[in-house]
Amino acid sequence: MSGHLLEIQNLRTDFSIAGGVVRAVRGIDLFVDKGEFLGVVGESGCGKSVTMLSVMRLLSENATVQADKLAFDGRDLLSQGHKKMRRMLGDEIGMIFQDPMTSLDPLYTIGNQIMEPLRIHRKMGAGEARRRAVEMLDLVGISSPEQRLKQYPHEFSGGMRQRVMIAIAMSCNPKLLIADEPTTALDVTIQAQILELMKDMQAKFSAATLLITHDLGVIASTCSRVVVMYGGLIMESGSVEDIFYHPMHPYTTGLLSSISDVGDTGKKKLSPIPGSPPDLMNPPAGCPFTARCDSAMRICAKARPALAASETGVGHGVACWLTGAAAKGTEALAK
Amino acid sequence: MTADALLKAENLKMFFDIRTTALGKGSVKQLKAVNDVSFSIGKGRTFGLVGESGCGKTTVGRTILKLYKATGGRVVYDGADITGMGEREFFPYRRKMQMIFQDPYTSLDPRQPVSEIIGAPLTLHRLVSSNAERADRVRELIHMVGLKDDHINRYPHEFSGGQRQRIGIARALAMMPEFIVCDEPISALDVSIQAQIINILEEFQERFGFTYLFISHDLSVVRHISHDVGVMYLGNLVEAAAVNELYGNMKHPYTQSLLSAVPIADPVAARGRKRIILEGDVPSPLDPPSGCPFRTRCRNVLPVCAQENPKLADIGGGHIVACHNMLV
Repeated sequence: MSGHLLEIQNLRTDFSIAGGVVRAVRGIDLFVDKGEFLGVVGESGCGKSVTMLSVMRLLSENATVQADKLAFDGRDLLSQGHKKMRRMLGDEIGMIFQDPMTSLDPLYTIGNQIMEPLRIHRKMGAGEARRRAVEMLDLVGISSPEQRLKQYPHEFSGGMRQRVMIAIAMSCNPKLLIADEPTTALDVTIQAQILELMKDMQAKFSAATLLITHDLGVIASTCSRVVVMYGGLIMESGSVEDIFYHPMHPYTTGLLSSISDVGDTGKKKLSPIPGSPPDLMNPPAGCPFTARCDSAMRICAKARPALAASETGVGHGVACWLTGAAAKGTEALAK
Repeated sequence: MTADALLKAENLKMFFDIRTTALGKGSVKQLKAVNDVSFSIGKGRTFGLVGESGCGKTTVGRTILKLYKATGGRVVYDGADITGMGEREFFPYRRKMQMIFQDPYTSLDPRQPVSEIIGAPLTLHRLVSSNAERADRVRELIHMVGLKDDHINRYPHEFSGGQRQRIGIARALAMMPEFIVCDEPISALDVSIQAQIINILEEFQERFGFTYLFISHDLSVVRHISHDVGVMYLGNLVEAAAVNELYGNMKHPYTQSLLSAVPIADPVAARGRKRIILEGDVPSPLDPPSGCPFRTRCRNVLPVCAQENPKLADIGGGHIVACHNMLV
C-alpha cells in the first residue's frame, strides 16, 4: 500500500447547484506509482477532470469532496490546510490544462510566469530563476529562449503556449505531473509534438504523469496503464495491453469499436454505443452503463458491481456483473 | 472522379481583407483563405477535405454554398455555374445544397422549438401545402434521425450534443437535398456519440444518394466515410486522390507527416511505428512563405520551392499532388 505516490480511496465529489446535487464522482479508487505514465480516459462528464481537481482541491465553493483516503507521497491530503496545499501545488505536483489560451496570464510575460513558482517554492533570486527559466524554455524546445522570455502569451501559438505550460509545470521538478486534456485544443501535427515532448520530459525528470483524455489514440501511444471512467465511476483499469487487447467491460469494448481506425482499408461499419451517458443529478442505482449495455441483466440496474480483479492480467480490474470475479465480488484489486 | 461530377470547384479563391490595426487606420492585408482550389465531387460520393485549423477547409465549404462571395474561380453545380447567380436565381439551389454545422450548440436557434427549426424551411420552400402535412413531415423526419415524438415541441437546450446534431441533420434532410456540406459534424461530440452520427450520415447516403463534402481534421473519420480525399494546407489543396490511394500511397510530405501524427488506438502499433514529427507551426496566412506554402516545415526542400508554388499535377489515376519533388 505504501508504495503508491498518489492513492485515492472511495473518492466522492458532489456539486450543489440550483435544482439539486450533481454526483460527479461517486466512489473511485485509484493510485499512481512513482514514475509511471497513467492515462484516465472517458467521455465528457464522466468525472475524470473532477477527480483530479478534487485531489488538488481546485474546485469551486459549491463542491464537497469526501474520501476514505487521499494520500500523496505518504501525506494525507484531506487534513492538509489550504496553505499547505498551495505549497505543494506547482512544486511537488505540476499541472497542465487543456486550454493553453486561457491558462496563462495574458498580462505577464512568460518569463515572469515561469519564474514565479521558482521564486516562491524554491526561494530563488531573480538571476537564478531567470537562468533556470531560460534552461526550461530551451528544454521544451523553444528557440532563442532569452528573447522569448520577455514576450507575452499572445505572441505565442497554441502549441508554443502548451510548451510554456510544460516548462512551468516541470520547473520545480515535480513528483507528479497532472495533464488534463493537454492536446485536445491542438492540431494533430502539434499534438504529436507535445506528446513527444511529454514523454521526453517524463524520461528526463522521472516524474509520474497522469494524463486525462478522451482520446484512446493518445492513451495508446503514451501510457503504460489506463483507467476507464464512466458515469462518475471506474469501469475498468489495467495495462494498455489489457485494455486495448483484452477489454472486459462492455463500455470499454463499445468505446473501442466506435472509433474509426486510420489504418483500416475496408469499410467496416462502426458500431456505436446507443443512447447517451446517465444524468448525474439522478445517477442510476446500479451500474451506470446498464441503460446502454447490450448484455445488461436484472442485477445491473439494482446493484453496483465492485471493481474486482479479472482473471486475464495482473492489475486488470473490471467493474461488471458479467465477469466472474466481480460476480463473486470478493477479491480486492489493489494489493 | 470527374465522369459524373455533381459539384465542381474550379480555381476557387476566397480572399479576406484584414485591417492590421484597430480604429480603421493602418494597412489592409489580404488573407488568402482559399487560394486557387479545384476539385470535383461525383454524384452520390463523399469528398473528404482534411487539414489543420486555419487551412481554409471550412471557407471552401462556405464559399461553395455562397455564404461568402468568391473572390475568384467558379463553382459549377450540376452543370450550372452558380458563382454569379443572384439570390433569386440561386433560391432553388439553396434547397438542393444544405449544410450541417460543427457546433450543435450555436447552429440551432435557442428560441425555436424543434417543430419550428425543421418546419420553417419546409414552408419557405413550399414543400408542404398544409399545417397538418407539415406536422406529419416533421414527425417523419424526427423519427428518421432517431428522435421521438415528444421531442418535437422541445427547445434546443433540452437536448444533448448528439441529439442536437441529429436535429441539425433532420433540418438539412427536410429539404430533400442532393448535396450536403458537413463541416466538422462530429468534432464537438463524444467518441461513443460520433459513431452514431457517422452511421446516420452513411445510412442516408445509401438511402437517398446524397453527395457529401465532408470537412474534418480527423483523418481516421475521413478515411472511414470518404470515397475521395483532398488535403489542404494554408489555403492550398496540396494532394487529392481516391481514399485508399491517398492513404496507401501518399506523396506530399505534408500528407505524410499529417497521417503519421494521428494517434492510433493500438499500443503495439503505436509504439512500433515511425512518426514524422513536424517542426514548428503553421505560418500565418497573412504572411505566407514565398513559393510552396509548406516549404518552411518540409523535409525535402529544393531551391525551387522558395520561388514557385508547385502546381497540382496528376501522377496517375486521378491522384494529384502539388510538390516540386514529384516533378523532378
